[in-house]
Amino acid sequence: MTLTHPAHIHPHHGDHHHGEPLIRFEHASFMYPYGPALEDITLEIADGEFLGVIGPNGSGKTTMLRAILGLLPPSQGSLRIFDCACHELRCHHRARIGYLPQRQPVDPYFPITVHEAVMMGRTGAIGLWRRTGKQDREIARQALEDVGMADYESRPLGTLSGGQQQRVFIARALAQHPQILLLDEPTTGIDTTTQHTVLDLIQRLHQDLHLTIVLVSHDINLIAPLSQRLALLKTKLYAIGPAKDVLRKDILSQVYGPQILTTDHGHVIVADHHHQ
Amino acid sequence: MPDLLTFSFLQRALVAAALTGGLCAAIGVFVVLRGLAFIGAGTAHAAFAGVALAYLIGAPPMPLALLFGLGTAWITGFLEERGRMKLDVSIGIFYTATMALAILFIGLMKTYTAEVYGYLFGSILSVTNEELQVTGALALLVVGFLAFFSKEFFFVAFDQDMAEASGVPARGFFFLLLTLIALTVVVSLKTVGAILVFALLLIPPATAYQLTSSLHRMMQYAVTIGVLVSLAGVWVSFQFDLPTGPSIVLLATGVFFLAVAWSPKKAPTPSLP
Repeated sequence: MTLTHPAHIHPHHGDHHHGEPLIRFEHASFMYPYGPALEDITLEIADGEFLGVIGPNGSGKTTMLRAILGLLPPSQGSLRIFDCACHELRCHHRARIGYLPQRQPVDPYFPITVHEAVMMGRTGAIGLWRRTGKQDREIARQALEDVGMADYESRPLGTLSGGQQQRVFIARALAQHPQILLLDEPTTGIDTTTQHTVLDLIQRLHQDLHLTIVLVSHDINLIAPLSQRLALLKTKLYAIGPAKDVLRKDILSQVYGPQILTTDHGHVIVADHHHQ
Repeated sequence: MPDLLTFSFLQRALVAAALTGGLCAAIGVFVVLRGLAFIGAGTAHAAFAGVALAYLIGAPPMPLALLFGLGTAWITGFLEERGRMKLDVSIGIFYTATMALAILFIGLMKTYTAEVYGYLFGSILSVTNEELQVTGALALLVVGFLAFFSKEFFFVAFDQDMAEASGVPARGFFFLLLTLIALTVVVSLKTVGAILVFALLLIPPATAYQLTSSLHRMMQYAVTIGVLVSLAGVWVSFQFDLPTGPSIVLLATGVFFLAVAWSPKKAPTPSLP
């Protein structure tokens, strides 16, 4: 299936050309009250790129996404998104960044339908002073079709399985008509078959809608085949480049320790029950 | 019923009940969804302390009630946002502290002032035209905000962090919600009183919560239930010579249990991925 959006409802923003950096970290450090979360990060993410971010738990992967969302200003260095300093990101900038946070359990009784959940993606996109209309409902319906959930439109969100809820939340992010899509562990907590369904969907979104995708995962083997480049984090950026250059035992062992194993097929095994 | 409507005080009481019931239910939807139930109780008792102070110093009660109510709502919201203290703990502190203040102010009064107690238990049958106009104006203001920014309020109620990340000024909307809750409580003090306003904020939305799995329908059902039980409560109290506030609340509670019994919501059985 090829994903299409009518040009008038899915503008691929004209102020950036395909391949130009949309996100630019320059010696950027980010602090939490208890210590540094990311240190001295220099990284450019191009328009239309698919970047996978890997690293052990607590390595700063989610912090990187929060920084790109403009929720965490750098304590040193700079971070520019859409040619705008991240702490100056306005609401309309943030609305161009779709975000799928780590899966949180949805209260099964919370009164919200799938359609209402996806329509929330239009809230930031249309701004404070406009009310949602027919066109917004059409966009939400299209986003649900894109993720293969159109038949579930009127179902209560709480009655869906974890994988279905993830697809609905991806549809919500798509309904924003984002230029950048940030995905934080999108396959955690769902079964293996559904993991592949979700990853196939993400790959199609990248190919057909030309979205810039930053996908964070602790599961190296799952995201390596999808990503054009991989960034290896552990507070600092240890490596960035194509998977074959990053997934080397000498590089990975700096982050994961000597228990890292790589196979001839590039498959990575971390002898730590958290990172298999 | 038509005979009853010839009494002007009863006409005013019915209009006040419908306004208060609908208004409390509308804002109460977000109170229930956002888990702010005790903010209603804390704000109501803080507002009552403001009323008691006003009677003590001879000032008009509404501005001081609003000041105390807003102050409590904002400070507890700020403490929760900073993660310094759980909301139920900070509300518990303010609830008891402001109630202590109210008792202190009443104790300092030289004469017994029965009117103060009207704000604690409500006196809907003695609502004046002027009070009705103020209630109507404030209700219009609160409902106007809720209607105009409903998409933002619903998003913040469902997932505040995600709303913030999507470009919605979620923090601003959280504090706007607290402000509207405080306004609603102050508006309702005269009619249903500081104790019963809490019930009207919670019971109609909680009843609607049982009946639907849609945010927008929850709002419609809650407002309808809020208006109907308030009108019915005034009618029952007048017909059977019962206190009005408790009549409204007990009717609402009865409807709530009926809704629980007939709720279409069952324990979820997720379908396969």
